[in-house]
Amino acid sequence: MTNHIDKSALQAITSLQRPGKPDLLGRVVDLFAKDSPAAISAIVAAVETGNLEEIRVAAHSMKSSSAYLGANRLSEQCKNIEQAARNGSELECMAYCEGIEDEFEGALAELQQIVEKAA
Amino acid sequence: MHSAQAKYQAQMIAPTANRPRPLVLHVDDDAASLIMAESSLEEAGFDVVHAENGEKALLQFKAHEPDLIIMDAVMPVMDGFEAINHIRRNAMGAHVPILMITGLDDLDSITRAYNEGATDFLTKPINFFVLPHRIQYMLRSKRTADALRSSQAKLDNAQRIARLGHWDWSVDTNELTWSSEFGRTMGFPSNMLKGTWTGFLEKLSDDQRHSVRMAATQAVEEARGFSVEFTLINSAAEDQDRTIRLEAEPHLNEQGKCTHLLGTMQDITERTNAQRQIHNLAYFDLVTGLPNRAQLNEQLNYALKMAKRRESKFALLFLDLDHFKQVNDTLGHDAGDELLQQVSGRLTDVVRDSDSVAVASEPDDEDDITKHTVARLGGDEFVVLLGSINRVEDAARVAERIAKSISAPYTLNDTEVSVTTTIGISVFPADGRSAEMLMKHADVAMYHAKEKGRNGYQFYSRGIHEQALARFSMESELKKAIDNGDLKLAYQPKIDAVSGEAIGVEALLRWEHPESGMISPAEFIPLAEETGLILPMGRWVLQQACRQMKDWIDDGMEPITMAVNCSPAQFIRGNMIKDIDAAISQSGLPSGLLEVELTESLFLQDIENGINILQSMKRIGIQISIDDFGTGFSSLSYLKRLPIDKLKIDQSFVHDLGRDPGDGAIVSAIIALSHNLNLTVVAEGVETAEQLDILRGYDCDEYQGYLISEPLYADEFLSWFESHRPSPLRKAG
Repeated sequence: MTNHIDKSALQAITSLQRPGKPDLLGRVVDLFAKDSPAAISAIVAAVETGNLEEIRVAAHSMKSSSAYLGANRLSEQCKNIEQAARNGSELECMAYCEGIEDEFEGALAELQQIVEKAA
Repeated sequence: MHSAQAKYQAQMIAPTANRPRPLVLHVDDDAASLIMAESSLEEAGFDVVHAENGEKALLQFKAHEPDLIIMDAVMPVMDGFEAINHIRRNAMGAHVPILMITGLDDLDSITRAYNEGATDFLTKPINFFVLPHRIQYMLRSKRTADALRSSQAKLDNAQRIARLGHWDWSVDTNELTWSSEFGRTMGFPSNMLKGTWTGFLEKLSDDQRHSVRMAATQAVEEARGFSVEFTLINSAAEDQDRTIRLEAEPHLNEQGKCTHLLGTMQDITERTNAQRQIHNLAYFDLVTGLPNRAQLNEQLNYALKMAKRRESKFALLFLDLDHFKQVNDTLGHDAGDELLQQVSGRLTDVVRDSDSVAVASEPDDEDDITKHTVARLGGDEFVVLLGSINRVEDAARVAERIAKSISAPYTLNDTEVSVTTTIGISVFPADGRSAEMLMKHADVAMYHAKEKGRNGYQFYSRGIHEQALARFSMESELKKAIDNGDLKLAYQPKIDAVSGEAIGVEALLRWEHPESGMISPAEFIPLAEETGLILPMGRWVLQQACRQMKDWIDDGMEPITMAVNCSPAQFIRGNMIKDIDAAISQSGLPSGLLEVELTESLFLQDIENGINILQSMKRIGIQISIDDFGTGFSSLSYLKRLPIDKLKIDQSFVHDLGRDPGDGAIVSAIIALSHNLNLTVVAEGVETAEQLDILRGYDCDEYQGYLISEPLYADEFLSWFESHRPSPLRKAG
């Protein structure tokens, strides 16, 4: 397993943890696990159909949620896709989209592993 | 560390609504962002509510009224821009701080966010450690802004109450900015707080604009302040002319040139009205609306100044109404006031119409015109100041017109009334060079005119002045005489013409002046009547005469009648009945022994009232005689209506008895008539035996005069009486 996750971002999240409250990092990772697959699928599907507006919206939200969790490569990829969509370049979108699902799977797995270890 | 510090700061921020912790509404479609931010904000001392899109955010905003909103820009359903737009249009949301979350690279969004009303922005990904600090900063700014708004509102309110506005004119650009009160006063729309100086001036009427523009232009040129008042006609603020005061001071640049005028404007209408009212109260008579004494003095001093400078004349007419008191007494004070008003109207008319008569010369400039003034001094006294006259005769002409105008009939309460006026005139510079002298001399002249008969005018003259001085000194001497006891009574016996016995005595007043010697009653009685001294003097005579007779009786003298002369003034101005009562009761003299001698003049004006007085006197039991009969108008027709006992034939008739057959006829007729009316007849001034013989022939009842005795002082009288006491034999018979 390569490094998908920047651990300092996760430390930032855990430092926001308030004593006696539900595990913040666990909840954020759970949300990521729950919502992100659909977002990734949406990006891939939109790139296939060439719907630039959908690409832009889906990539925008994925860009920030992955950034919070230190999934920097994934976030960078989404940012490029969003920018390409805004520029109106389907071709660029397709190019940046390459390997996005693998990157997501890797990042998610690594996050879940970290959460489990912490628990 | 961060969170502890943040918490401390959050508590420093007073929440808007009544809650212990500030409430933040966080709007984001990313659930992970929401929970991470929530954790950070709660740790820092905030409460947090969420919304996942713009539409839900509006609902949450209404439900919670948060102190601050964190708003994501890009969201499904309704994005952040639209949500801000809605919130800002809501009154509740006009000032709530909104922190917009945008992409780091999205400049368009940042610009748009500010356009829609965002307070600040933060880029994604959000730094959750920085977030609470940013929010605290925003809330603190909000509090400062609130305080400023509140302060501004208070200032606006205070300025509205004080009707005080302020303004700033940039001279170079002509731009004028102003406060809301300034705008309200000038009738600018409430949302309009700036315009041009020219636009402001256009709100003024032509002449007002001119004076304001001149004042401002001069202030700019000379780099100094100005203060100018103007009237705003039919201003939009209220449907009434307003008096506005504009004040300004210059703002100078480094070269000392005036670049701005900063100023205030105040609506001083109420203050001006109050001042005017105070001025009117101080300078105008309430009854007639004419200038009062204070204003007359100012006008008079002004006239003096002008006349001295131009070496011209002016006249002062001092007048009062003859018999005004009677109008007041008979028709009431309201009618009296009404009369004064009508009189002042006529005076004003006459004086205005006399303008052409009295203007001395073409005035040099506007200020030089010395106006005529009609003033009321109080009571029925008026003064006319003829500001400038060519000749003394001009004043006489105006006085004549006034006298004529005033004497025309008046209608008061449907009653026709006539009054006349007497006018005294003094002329500058001949009759005085000061206001006091001119007033005094006009007053003196008026009194002199009254003495000569009312309804006329009289110029002041040296002769009048000397008479007045003499009278004045005699008046004070007379007061002294009363106080020092220099007044004495002398007694002249009255003799029964048949028996030759003394049956009465007449008390006569004597004034022995320590330096001047004996002063005739003919000199001082009229003065005493005029000054009112007659009242205390008359009381003293009554008391003294009654006491004297009582003393004589107590010393064993045969009781005889004591006759006292009374002036009509004592009846008209005093309370004669009361005085008689007091003299009788204090002395203990039987009232039948007191005889009051009156002259016919008492019945001249009002015979009914005269009869009433006589009847009151008869009720007390005293005797009444009519003195000096034959010298007045001697109406025989009224004689029978008077409840009197005696008639005294004036000594002028007695004097020529035996030489002038006419007098004999008159005396004989009076005696016959008197007897017919059951009146006793007394002859005065009998000096010769021949006169006495004739009187006896006419059946005259009593007599007095030098033939039998001159008036004697009390002790002399007693010894005289002892030698003339009626013989017991005769008395018995």
